[in-house]
Amino acid sequence: MNLLGTYLAQTGWPVPMAAPTLSHYLFVSAAMFVIGLIGFLTRRNLIIMFLCTELMFQAAGIALVAFSRYHLNHTGSTFVIFVLTVAAAEAAMALALVVLLFRRRESLDADEFSDMKG
Amino acid sequence: MDSIINPIIFYAACALGAVGVCLALPRGKRSVQIFGAIIASMAGGLVLLGLGLKSPNQLPNVYFYIFSLISLGGALRVVTHPRPVYAALYFILTIISSSGLFLILSSEFMAFALVIVYAGAILITYLFVIMLATQAPTDEGVEFLAEYDTASREPVVASICGFVMLAALSTLLFSGAPSIKPTGSASSDSSLLVFMPKKVENSLRDHGLMKPDEVLAKADSGDGYAIWPAGENSWVKVKDASGTVRTIPGSEWPADLKVKNVEALGFTLLRDHPGSIEIAGVILLMAMLGAVVLSRKQVQIDEDAKMRHAERLANPDGTTPEPNTAGGTR
Repeated sequence: MNLLGTYLAQTGWPVPMAAPTLSHYLFVSAAMFVIGLIGFLTRRNLIIMFLCTELMFQAAGIALVAFSRYHLNHTGSTFVIFVLTVAAAEAAMALALVVLLFRRRESLDADEFSDMKG
Repeated sequence: MDSIINPIIFYAACALGAVGVCLALPRGKRSVQIFGAIIASMAGGLVLLGLGLKSPNQLPNVYFYIFSLISLGGALRVVTHPRPVYAALYFILTIISSSGLFLILSSEFMAFALVIVYAGAILITYLFVIMLATQAPTDEGVEFLAEYDTASREPVVASICGFVMLAALSTLLFSGAPSIKPTGSASSDSSLLVFMPKKVENSLRDHGLMKPDEVLAKADSGDGYAIWPAGENSWVKVKDASGTVRTIPGSEWPADLKVKNVEALGFTLLRDHPGSIEIAGVILLMAMLGAVVLSRKQVQIDEDAKMRHAERLANPDGTTPEPNTAGGTR
């Protein structure tokens, strides 16, 4: 098994192992973003909705790192660090809110809170 | 777009993906999730086939396909799994495979930061909150799934909108960036070595290019060291104890004397964007304060309730001891 791994790592299978183009990464990023978007629109559990926003953050991160690699510029990677920061801050705040809302209504259904509209 | 993938195959795959995701979303009692997952993975395979047909002799990096398929499948499962805990675990799978993608992009620091921050910190917080904010099972042995977890809202419209957006986005992306190849290796940029004299010196010493009594020579102007990292024409000047200066050309430099991704990222972060780090710190502090303030009041009520419960347990006959704390009389 280890031998196989070393062989794959050294020779590259299938030969030749061309580097993926930027479009490949952008497509993966777009597909992940869209899956997160669909989840955000359809799911009714508040926690899952926030997980889907994290998924969209993640898709944006893939696109940024791919751009930074293909333009040989580290600013894109640096920006992903701040995306991580914002994601962490958002998780802390949003989850505190979710816990409060759950204690009030004993439910995580987003439709439960539709009477909060102004 | 024609040079990357056949448009007919691509749009067919988008439509198939919309149908698959729509079927895979949870919808009440009669679930056809497994068929939806099969159709969605067929759509993914169709895109792969279309990409492969255009370049039959060079299949792009097989690890790219493995990691991207795992991460997209994990993402689909995050969206479709009716149990929140499993959705969070699938999200960790997505994170780990995207850090594999970051490794292919030779961005090691981001890959590790992603695993540590996302999978290690954020997702654990999510898991805690999911376990805090879930109703207890009604009966023993009966699995309890809330109605809002098993039935999704407007799955058809949402998947159609989403995949139309994916088709439009990808058409723009594919036409804009037809085949930008990576321009050289990201780690071969060595111009930052002039700021790292200690690293250059240690590397040269380890490979025996500098004798023990030699040190790096000072630059003629400025207070830096005489290092000139410029690919083939690089050189570095060293000086021995008697003051004789000798030049080591770049052709003799050890092969591993390069700027690593972490070092380059650190220079970008601290030299070009020093203010944004402060802002990030303030954002994190504010989020922490906000979370504490938001959840503080509620926690105190819980503590009071716990104290009253403990007093009731200690005195089951109803005789109250003399109240010694303020909390007991409330």
